[in-house]
Amino acid sequence: MIKINGLQHHFKIGKKGNERHVPVLKGVTLEVGKGEIVAILGKSGSGKSTLLHILAGFMSPEAGSVMVNGQETAVLRESEQASFRLANFGFIFQNFQLMPGLSAFENVELPLKIQGMNEAERKMKVQKLLEKVGLEEVAGHYPNELSGGQQQRVSIARALITDAPIVLADEPTGSLDSETEKEILLLIKSLNKKLGLTFVIITHDEEVAAVADRQYRLHDGELVKGEQRYAV
Amino acid sequence: MQFKDQIDFIRQHMKRNKLRVATTILAATMGCAFLIVLASIGFGLHQTITNDVLDNNLVTEIEVAGKSGEETDLAPSEIPDGEVQKMREMDHVVAVVERTQPDADTQVAIGERSAYSRVVLSSMEEEQKSGFGLSEGKMPAAADEIVIGYHMASQLLTEAEQEKQANGEEVTGFSGSLIGQTIEVQLTPYMNEGDEKTEMSSWEFVVTGIAKEPTKDWMTDTSVYADSSWGTVFNEELGLQPGYENILVYADELQNVGGITNALKEDGYYVYSVTEELGKMNVFFNALKAGLIFVGTIAVLIASIGIFNTMTMAVTERTREIGVMKAIGAQPKLIRKLFLMESAAIGLIGTALAVAISYGISMLSNWLIPIIVMSSLGEEQPENFTLVISTIPWQLVVIASAISIGVAMVSGWRPARKATQIDIIQALRQEM
Repeated sequence: MIKINGLQHHFKIGKKGNERHVPVLKGVTLEVGKGEIVAILGKSGSGKSTLLHILAGFMSPEAGSVMVNGQETAVLRESEQASFRLANFGFIFQNFQLMPGLSAFENVELPLKIQGMNEAERKMKVQKLLEKVGLEEVAGHYPNELSGGQQQRVSIARALITDAPIVLADEPTGSLDSETEKEILLLIKSLNKKLGLTFVIITHDEEVAAVADRQYRLHDGELVKGEQRYAV
Repeated sequence: MQFKDQIDFIRQHMKRNKLRVATTILAATMGCAFLIVLASIGFGLHQTITNDVLDNNLVTEIEVAGKSGEETDLAPSEIPDGEVQKMREMDHVVAVVERTQPDADTQVAIGERSAYSRVVLSSMEEEQKSGFGLSEGKMPAAADEIVIGYHMASQLLTEAEQEKQANGEEVTGFSGSLIGQTIEVQLTPYMNEGDEKTEMSSWEFVVTGIAKEPTKDWMTDTSVYADSSWGTVFNEELGLQPGYENILVYADELQNVGGITNALKEDGYYVYSVTEELGKMNVFFNALKAGLIFVGTIAVLIASIGIFNTMTMAVTERTREIGVMKAIGAQPKLIRKLFLMESAAIGLIGTALAVAISYGISMLSNWLIPIIVMSSLGEEQPENFTLVISTIPWQLVVIASAISIGVAMVSGWRPARKATQIDIIQALRQEM
């Protein structure tokens, strides 16, 4: 499903003309199969977000390749990248990234609007999904009227609404308390089992990584395989 | 994204920034309304002058003032009859009238009443074809029958009445109908150098018709319209030189006047028609209107700065939202389209309001300004004269709308492009 091969990337830091090149990814290689949950652990600045951004097509790698469902993503043009993301990826962000002017229902509906789905069909689909993630009662609420856990559920629903086979989660519980964190992790696990979705989770939290089928740790720009755990 | 969803999306964003969007729309409205109202003055004045020209002239009439000759130019009276006949045979010509005025002082008298007049000699048959208008009676059928001017009756005064009129008193003139009455037409040759005295001769005619009232209330028609055969009689009797002649060619419709005018010009005639006058005027007024539209466009351009600022701020404020949309799969061209549509919507709403307001201002100025002008002059507006200050034809609405909406979209182009270039990673890092 996902094949990352020899990915390299570096950042420039310092003032212009006096920059320093800091390598963040030094030939990362990883394969993720269909229906797997893979967690990438790492400290702040370890390059785990860079890996996710390259995987999502938000940026291009300096070397190496990313194949998603048999498609080399780096060769796609910007507009093709957008279409590819819409069809293949759902995103869960640390700070939810919901549209403040849209209700929970409308936030979940947004990717379907971008897809151009007709109103009746998408209303039905959003309604069903909101019920599935336990948000039907707050569907009309705006993000500032929702708790952190509810906002993240909206974010998860938005990631799932297009039936994209892969969900990329960047610190999905980073803004939540420990109780809500457990709820969200259970939800991720259950969605993975029920729907067979593939999750790639970027986190610095061992407990969050524990939900994964496989764990990797990014250390000094290299990916090190961690132990396999199944318990949450 | 479906079009309806795009509209909803824009509406939601505009609602969120009501005040800023409203002030930008206000600026666009003011700019566009200024353009329309300013240009409408050019259109209004053009209409006033055109109406005045058309009211003062028989629009299908073409006056032939002479012809260029090989050595000297020919006066209308010198144009051979054969050539006048050729004019009659031209396409779309319904009549060619040759009018002559005897070179003599003219008075008409009935009983004790008399009035100054002028004799117009013409073919009554051709006059009838040309559409010579009568207010009463019929066209002459016999040689001693005539048509008189509309104001003849009121100008036929006794000596006592003439004195009263000279003292500024009001007089009514001949009462009753002149149709069927016999009037005396008195001609006295103008005195030439060396003449001590000239003899008056008179002829009697029966009035069969009264000409139509002139279109302008300041015009007084006391003419006598008699058959052209009297020209020879008058000239021989009084020893007159051939009088002033003019040739009038009548077209069947206004739209054919231009063609006939050009054809006559090509044949070397000196002609004047209403299309000539309107043509010269149109050049001037079209230049004036273009100038006014240009000046008005500057106001629209100033308003466009507001649209540019509003859209630039909208892009800056929504950077994170744009980033999220791009991240979840929105095409850059969709982002650009949404922002362009928003600036176009501002231009469209502003233009619609401006058109409505401009019509209001136009109507108000057409009602109010003539009142102010006339009251400041202490006069009443003349009859048959409408002072049009401002008029807004549909063409002006189309031009102003195209300029206003076009400028709005151009103003939104750069911010829209900036929106498509937003970096997803940077945008997602922004605080809510």
